[in-house]
Amino acid sequence: MAVDALDLEVPAGKTMVLVGPSGCGKTTTLRMINRLVEPTEGRVLLDGRDVRQSNPAQLRRGIGYVIQQTGLFPHRTVQDNIATVPLLDGWPRKKARARARDLLALVGLDPALAPRYPYQLSGGQQQRVGVARALAADPPVLLMDEPFSAVDPLIRASLQDELVRLQTELRKTVVLVTHDIEEAIKVGDLVALYRPDGRLAQVDAPQRLLGMPVDSYVSDFVGFDRGIRLLSFFRATGLNLRAEPIVGSDSTVAKALGAARDAGQPWILVTDSDGKPRGWLPAERLAPLADDTPLGTVPAEEFGHTFTVETDSLRAALDAALLSPAGQAIGVDSAGRVAGLLSYDQLRAAVQAAEATTKDAAGDAEQQPRSLRA
Amino acid sequence: MSFFTFAWDWVTQAANWHGPGSIPHQVLAHLGYSGLSLLVAALIAIPLGIAIGHTGRGAVFVVNLANAWRAIPTLGLLILLAVLLGFSFVTWLVPLVVLAIPPILVNTYEGVAGVDRGVKDAALGAGMTGWQQVTRVEVPIAMPLILVGLRTAAIFMVATATIAAYIGLGGLGRYIVDGLASDQYGPVAGGALLVIILAVAVLALFAGLSRLIIPAGLRRQGRSE
Amino acid sequence: MSWSWVSVNGSLIWQLTRQTAYLGVVPALIGLAISVPLGVTAARWRWFSPPALAAVNVIYAIPSLALFIALIPALGLSDTNVIVALTLFSLCIMVPNVIAGLRSVAEPVRQAATAMGYGQLRQLVGVELPLATPVIIGGLRVAVVSSISLASVGQLIGVSSLGYLFIDGLQRSFPTEIYVGLVLIIVLALACDLVLVGARRALTPWAAR
Repeated sequence: MAVDALDLEVPAGKTMVLVGPSGCGKTTTLRMINRLVEPTEGRVLLDGRDVRQSNPAQLRRGIGYVIQQTGLFPHRTVQDNIATVPLLDGWPRKKARARARDLLALVGLDPALAPRYPYQLSGGQQQRVGVARALAADPPVLLMDEPFSAVDPLIRASLQDELVRLQTELRKTVVLVTHDIEEAIKVGDLVALYRPDGRLAQVDAPQRLLGMPVDSYVSDFVGFDRGIRLLSFFRATGLNLRAEPIVGSDSTVAKALGAARDAGQPWILVTDSDGKPRGWLPAERLAPLADDTPLGTVPAEEFGHTFTVETDSLRAALDAALLSPAGQAIGVDSAGRVAGLLSYDQLRAAVQAAEATTKDAAGDAEQQPRSLRA
Repeated sequence: MSFFTFAWDWVTQAANWHGPGSIPHQVLAHLGYSGLSLLVAALIAIPLGIAIGHTGRGAVFVVNLANAWRAIPTLGLLILLAVLLGFSFVTWLVPLVVLAIPPILVNTYEGVAGVDRGVKDAALGAGMTGWQQVTRVEVPIAMPLILVGLRTAAIFMVATATIAAYIGLGGLGRYIVDGLASDQYGPVAGGALLVIILAVAVLALFAGLSRLIIPAGLRRQGRSE
Repeated sequence: MSWSWVSVNGSLIWQLTRQTAYLGVVPALIGLAISVPLGVTAARWRWFSPPALAAVNVIYAIPSLALFIALIPALGLSDTNVIVALTLFSLCIMVPNVIAGLRSVAEPVRQAATAMGYGQLRQLVGVELPLATPVIIGGLRVAVVSSISLASVGQLIGVSSLGYLFIDGLQRSFPTEIYVGLVLIIVLALACDLVLVGARRALTPWAAR
């Protein structure tokens, strides 16, 4: 693996993901930071200081390190594994173990696991212990080499969520290596995409990588569905929802048909007494019924899933529209009450508006204070 | 009469339990020779095996030694040194130590060199110095194999010390060699039985030792010769 | 080193070498013949494997001279005595190897064979044993080399082999004989080892190197 003429800055407190095909040098880059690999030329600066000025062992104790195979010490209990660096730093054992138990909780594990041995844990649990071990001495920098690649997709997704959550709390400077572009986009504040020859193709915020790939290599790498994935970076808050046709289930067929006619829509959303969605009714099913038939007695279509207006992304809204029998997304508030409806056309307009702002949205990521230069 | 009746008749004769050359005396002598050889061999082979396993330098030598040492005929080596050096402390200590080194060296090397790459990487990445990697990670993880090497060598020493009676060494082999020379099967069988018991006792000792020494996290893993 | 002794006693040396080869190779081959069914049994019925391995450990701990002596009442001071004892040791070496070899067959390969409709016996003979061959031959190599080297100890109970040169050399304080014995035993052991390495390459062309 070769790295050639690489110039990369990792802003403090951000997550930088190095992604690329295998053999492109992303792991080598990572291992240069804690001097597991020495560059033949060039420098690695940590907080402006060349890492080669530090004693390697001292340097590494100040940098958390997580690897794919976990590298947990099989002869040590979970708590002593986590306490590795504190113990190297000369903490008293009692204090180090107490810290280890705190960290277990932090990474979402039961502190009762502390006296177990690694072989007694599942793969996902082992990987969480690996993360806890890296965080034990509270290092400002965390290096993660394919940390989630060895676990199955469901657990991988939850570990990724966990990392994102931890980062909002801890604000470490994280450098994470992966071959999985989905993972890069999900967890990275910045993504550095490598070419197979070890040069950088593009270093950008994920939404810019998706929205403005610099060339066909980048767009091929991020995938043909990058447009859809880009939508997950835009909030649904600004959307103009329609209030019609939405009718309570205590209402009648006549009122429902009237609402549908006013809105010019063939589907009517029925809500329950709390204002939560109950189901979709096609206007043509109501037409033959008596005008005063209560809507609650008419069998409705499943409404599928909804999107939460305040917290969800455009992608979730689009998803909700696609999976709805009515072809309309139901927006709800945080309590699950219907806030309004959204059609394809409205969504397409929103998507186009979002793409136009991509350029500005990503621009500010590069103006962070520099901390780590690799 | 079977081997065991011959052996038992001889072992239970009261006369064999008193005076110079008695059973307790020869058992102690046998343990002394085996134990001393094992100790010297361990002091040489364990540090060497750790160094080779940790650095990877000299690995080819160890791997070839692993194959070659079984081919060395113990009896021939003992006799050659006796003829060349005369009958002395060195005569029996040197060949015993030489023969005890390979199993300890090879197993120690394999144990240390075989530590999972991810674990080594993690130790390095956690900021351990070379010495800390060896003492805190590699040696504890290699401990099951180091014990296997010591056990193999110890049992081998009990056997070799028996044969060394042929070049004048004391110990339980004396009964066998002297009995064969005078065509008396009693002491031959008795000596052989005691040697067998001693060897099995050493085996049991190491089984107990591994329970004590091997970290619980490693005990689940399989061990091999 | 007296080369004249070597040339005068050429026929004796040749005869002792053949005898050593016989005492070393036969036990290993019998050991192979017995250890494969034993190993297959232990690999198939898992409960059988721990007691088998424990027994193997204990028997292997018995010093060779003591085992030769223990067999005297039954088998006398004969070639058979040494061959039976060395066969036992070979078993101790090979049974764990056969078990390990069979267990080393990758689970997907095993499942693929089952899925394609192999019966148990055909799967064993057609898939598992061939794949275990490198490990089994590895055990056979150790068994042959050890047997050849241990056969010389049989000389102490009067069973003739190259070990004769050690005893005779000691009694006459004549190092040449001892050198010749040592060298020939080691050369013989390494030669058999090489033959087995060749056999493994011929039998398992799919294995690396």
